[in-house]
Amino acid sequence: MSGSGAQAAHTAMDYSDFLRQWLTVVIFGFLALGMVGFMLGVGSLLRPNPGKGGTYQGQKYLTYESGVDPAGFLWSQTQVRYYVFALLFVMFDVEAVFIFPWATELERYGTFGLIEMFVFIVLLALGLVYAWRKKVLQWL
Amino acid sequence: MDAPFVTPTLDYHALAPEIVLVGALAALILYDVFSSELNKRVTAAIAQLGLLGAIVPILTLWAGDPRSMFDGAYAVDKYAIILKGLFLAAGYLVVLISVHYIGEGDYWEGEYYTLLLSSVLGMMLMASARDLISVFVALEVLSIPGYMLAAWRKRDLASGEAGVKYYLMGVFATAVLLYGMSLVYGLTGQTQLRAIADAFASGQAPKPVLSLAIVFVLVGFAFKVSAVPFHTWAPDTYEGAPTPVTAFLAVASKTAGFVALMNVVAVAFHGQTDVLRWMLVPLAAITMTVGNLIAVRQTNIIRMLAYSGVAQAGYMLCPLAVMGTFVKANDMAAADNSVRTLLVYLIIYAAMNLGGFAVVIAVARRTGSGEISSMRGMFQWAPGMMMALAIFLGGFAGIPPAGGWFGKFAIFKTTMDAGALNDGAGYFLAFLIGINSVIAAFYYVRVIWTMVSGNEGDLPQAPLKSPAALRAAVFITAVAVVAIGVVPTLVSHITDNATLIAAATGR
Repeated sequence: MSGSGAQAAHTAMDYSDFLRQWLTVVIFGFLALGMVGFMLGVGSLLRPNPGKGGTYQGQKYLTYESGVDPAGFLWSQTQVRYYVFALLFVMFDVEAVFIFPWATELERYGTFGLIEMFVFIVLLALGLVYAWRKKVLQWL
Repeated sequence: MDAPFVTPTLDYHALAPEIVLVGALAALILYDVFSSELNKRVTAAIAQLGLLGAIVPILTLWAGDPRSMFDGAYAVDKYAIILKGLFLAAGYLVVLISVHYIGEGDYWEGEYYTLLLSSVLGMMLMASARDLISVFVALEVLSIPGYMLAAWRKRDLASGEAGVKYYLMGVFATAVLLYGMSLVYGLTGQTQLRAIADAFASGQAPKPVLSLAIVFVLVGFAFKVSAVPFHTWAPDTYEGAPTPVTAFLAVASKTAGFVALMNVVAVAFHGQTDVLRWMLVPLAAITMTVGNLIAVRQTNIIRMLAYSGVAQAGYMLCPLAVMGTFVKANDMAAADNSVRTLLVYLIIYAAMNLGGFAVVIAVARRTGSGEISSMRGMFQWAPGMMMALAIFLGGFAGIPPAGGWFGKFAIFKTTMDAGALNDGAGYFLAFLIGINSVIAAFYYVRVIWTMVSGNEGDLPQAPLKSPAALRAAVFITAVAVVAIGVVPTLVSHITDNATLIAAATGR
């Protein structure tokens, strides 16, 4: 038990270290909570308030379409098939994001770069083949 | 101005399992889109061939020396090879239990197996990832197909709910994880796990921010492995998703989450023992206790398995929680041993859980229900399946002939070893494991009791006939569980030379 004094001092130092570390985590947690409260609070101050017993303005019940006044009847038809084209577009858009920087530096990458990009495009082309065979490319 | 481009050397042998899997994936997609609707059964065969084919390079890699690529960012050592083998085997068993479920339900077979294979591919990358970016990419490759698979029963509301819950929680966890990773990168300027460990060891990073970074990373992974209090998505997702998918998520996905946790915690953070300890010990303690206590109340076998899976995650966190004690005592061999303990447990857990879900699927083909009461009298009408489920549940409870006892024993021993190193947390966890095993044994044995006892008024039922694939899956897992239980050296021997910390950091 002779070494217990040294060990106690060691533990005390560890303990304050421990507090310092976890205090940051706790402060961070409270900051996050405070931020949510702050943003909601500012929102409640700034938004039009009907007051006690008042009614909300009729505009609050309108559909919000990206700032544009809603037009037409709510059961109107839309072309749902646009979304598959959007998905296909994203696929090839991402491909372009990778291919353009690669193309500017192709001379440095050499054969290795060529093969790698070939593999990448073949794998992406599988997606195109899938879309083609599932009749996504046809406009009905 | 520009540094010359150095062509990275690709070790095709080290990448061979993944290449085989990608080849199978491509073949699957091409077959699926060019075949008639009547021949979709072949897609399952292609998936099986791909998974079995990828085992071949795994075996040749096993015989050879450990390999690594990209300056150590992609390691193919014994640890990674064992896990890759485990993921391939789990994927194969999931295909076996899916064949009839997916085929009979007309659930887009081609796409189903494609997504399953891509998820397995992500898991195999995870086993080798020793870099924050590859860990993250692997995590996404394995998770995103999972989100879609959970919602696979398209017109079923519960399945949709399962998919949305899993997706939202998964994305939220990813955001938290990425925030932690960005802090780690900001502190160290490194993405490679080994380099991060070195940068942390140099003591340059301010401790408080470091703690914050580690907390965020651990919380992100805690969602993935469904540790309490981040487990709330698991029961709903498991219940709503198609049962084969549930088996896949509960086994392969969770294992991959633990692998990510092991890679990051054991390699990058292993020096930060105090932060890890105060995060992981409470997490492990709460997870096993809460998981078990809620599981006692469940009447649905899938929800019960989900909560028992939460409790199992608690056991599995224990070796990681006490790993820091060994590192602090500068006993890196023992620290690696706690990683190995988890590895052993993951293997046994995969066999027990996949088998359990296979039996549940087989029984639900007859009863159409997941209620435990619907399994009444199973001993009369499905004695084989009943015995198998009894083996798996006995394994979960840790009753010796089934394999689970060895995994539990190994974890218990690791925590006791940590306790012997003057670490109260080790004894505390060991004590909780003991208490929890008793609680768990109660609800596992209750299911066995329900299956054995029959109602007096019950009409005698015709014997249950299960498809061959399902029976094969149950047979393989049951044999594996019993074999491991009788000869535990089967798994402990394989994992003997698997080192994670030593291999990655050279300590």
